[in-house]
Amino acid sequence: METLLRVTDLSRDFGRHSALSGVDLCLERGQVLGLLGPNGAGKTTCLRLLSGLLAPTSGRIEILGLDLTHRPLAAKRHLGYLPERPPLHPELRVDEYLTHCAHLHRLPRRTIPEAIATAKQRCGLEDQGRRLIAKLSRGYRQRLGLAQAILHRPPLLILDEPTEGLDPVQMRELRRLIRDLARDSGIILSSHLLPEVQSVCDRVMILHQGRVRFDAETRTARPTNLWRVRLGGETHVMHLNDLAPVAGALAIGLNQFQVDLQPDATSADLARAILLAGLELFELTPERSDLERTFFDLIGAEEHA
Amino acid sequence: MIATIAAREIRSGLVTPLLWVLLGVGQVVLAWIFLQVVEDFSALDAGERSASLTQELCVNLFGFAAVLAMFAAPLLAMRMLSAEFRDGGYDLLAAAPARLIEILLGKFIALAVLITPLCLLPAANLALLSGATTLDLGQVAAATLGLWLAALFFGAIGLQASSLTEQPGAAVLIAFGLLLLFSIIGRAESLTAQTLSLFGWLSWNEHLFRFLLGAVRLSDLAYFLLFTGFFLALAHRHLANRRLQ
Repeated sequence: METLLRVTDLSRDFGRHSALSGVDLCLERGQVLGLLGPNGAGKTTCLRLLSGLLAPTSGRIEILGLDLTHRPLAAKRHLGYLPERPPLHPELRVDEYLTHCAHLHRLPRRTIPEAIATAKQRCGLEDQGRRLIAKLSRGYRQRLGLAQAILHRPPLLILDEPTEGLDPVQMRELRRLIRDLARDSGIILSSHLLPEVQSVCDRVMILHQGRVRFDAETRTARPTNLWRVRLGGETHVMHLNDLAPVAGALAIGLNQFQVDLQPDATSADLARAILLAGLELFELTPERSDLERTFFDLIGAEEHA
Repeated sequence: MIATIAAREIRSGLVTPLLWVLLGVGQVVLAWIFLQVVEDFSALDAGERSASLTQELCVNLFGFAAVLAMFAAPLLAMRMLSAEFRDGGYDLLAAAPARLIEILLGKFIALAVLITPLCLLPAANLALLSGATTLDLGQVAAATLGLWLAALFFGAIGLQASSLTEQPGAAVLIAFGLLLLFSIIGRAESLTAQTLSLFGWLSWNEHLFRFLLGAVRLSDLAYFLLFTGFFLALAHRHLANRRLQ
């Protein structure tokens, strides 16, 4: 696979405050990488560094083998960037704005109308071309911001909180669009919403206090058939191990157990088996994936979750 | 790239009311000054007239237009960088394959184009007299050139102030402060030795005045171009530093 982005030991300080420290990453074509983390974790700083808006304190960023510091113009040609706030000009109409963006990205003049039509169609802006940007709703502004980022079909797409301001239907459409775009691009997106990242990304990187705390493929981080149960009375782990749907059980606290079910068993089978065995079932919850556990551990919400 | 950025700025300047308000207000006041000067000049006998009508009109009309441009340039410039930093519009340019110098020149050229109608207003007023009396067209041309160069100088200061802050209001105040300093610095001469003319040379109104009298001198041209270049270089430096801050 072709490597679109290679980041080596990237750090950025703001005065004495270290916003980002020692980040290494590599993005292949067709991959969607989700940057996840609580507010202030360094996600936006990381994306602003990758898009050339900020200079790194140390480290190296290469886009398609081009060093962003030494050859910024050549590197930025392969980049589409949607910042946290879409960079719009409210006094322009949608078509005027997209034409301006096409010129900025140095698209050949004859290809501009087709590129604008395609970007509008992909972002659901077909009938908005004559509208003033100042009159657009927040959701449409976000779509327009995305349209300018994909207008020149960049191989590398950087999206900072792309679903911000979108309603649930628009969010679902955007996820579909991101998967569609990922067929011939590499995409990095940031979010503080775990389900959003899980649903659309192939790989997740969790940032906390400027450092990478977790980096894994989402497939490996998906929940398994693990459940957490809390039973009443004096229950031994052997009681659970004897139940038919249970492949294995582990005591993790007073009357609390982590239960691994047989591949074809469901939580309903487990609940039924517990009740038929005469045990008291107080709680039955799915065990979190590694990704969820790491995320909630980091933001300190494990106890409240 | 410069043309793309300039075209967008000009388009934005034309569809927002600020330029039109400045032009409207400017024309109303210029017309009033124009009438006043013509009336005063007509009331004098030939022997009482110390200067020609063209000279009277040039000094008064272009002099006021320069003050107007001094207010207009920072107001137009604040939208170009400061407001874009605040609203996030600048990120579009910063992430695009464009050099900083191209971004800055694009914005400066747009500012020059937008402020040009304001510089042509006094000449347009004078054109009303073309059928009625003989005007010194050379002097009018020199005064128009001087006013335009002064407006470019004000624009460069406006852009430099605009590059300093994300608050457009603060950018305008910084630019006004700098322009005020360059307006009154000539008076410092009287506070120091009479032979020292550096402060007088630094003051823009001294240089413009010679243009208004019809004298196009290389030193005055150099003054405006030098300081315009200097403030644009400072603005470029600030834009480059934004990546590091």
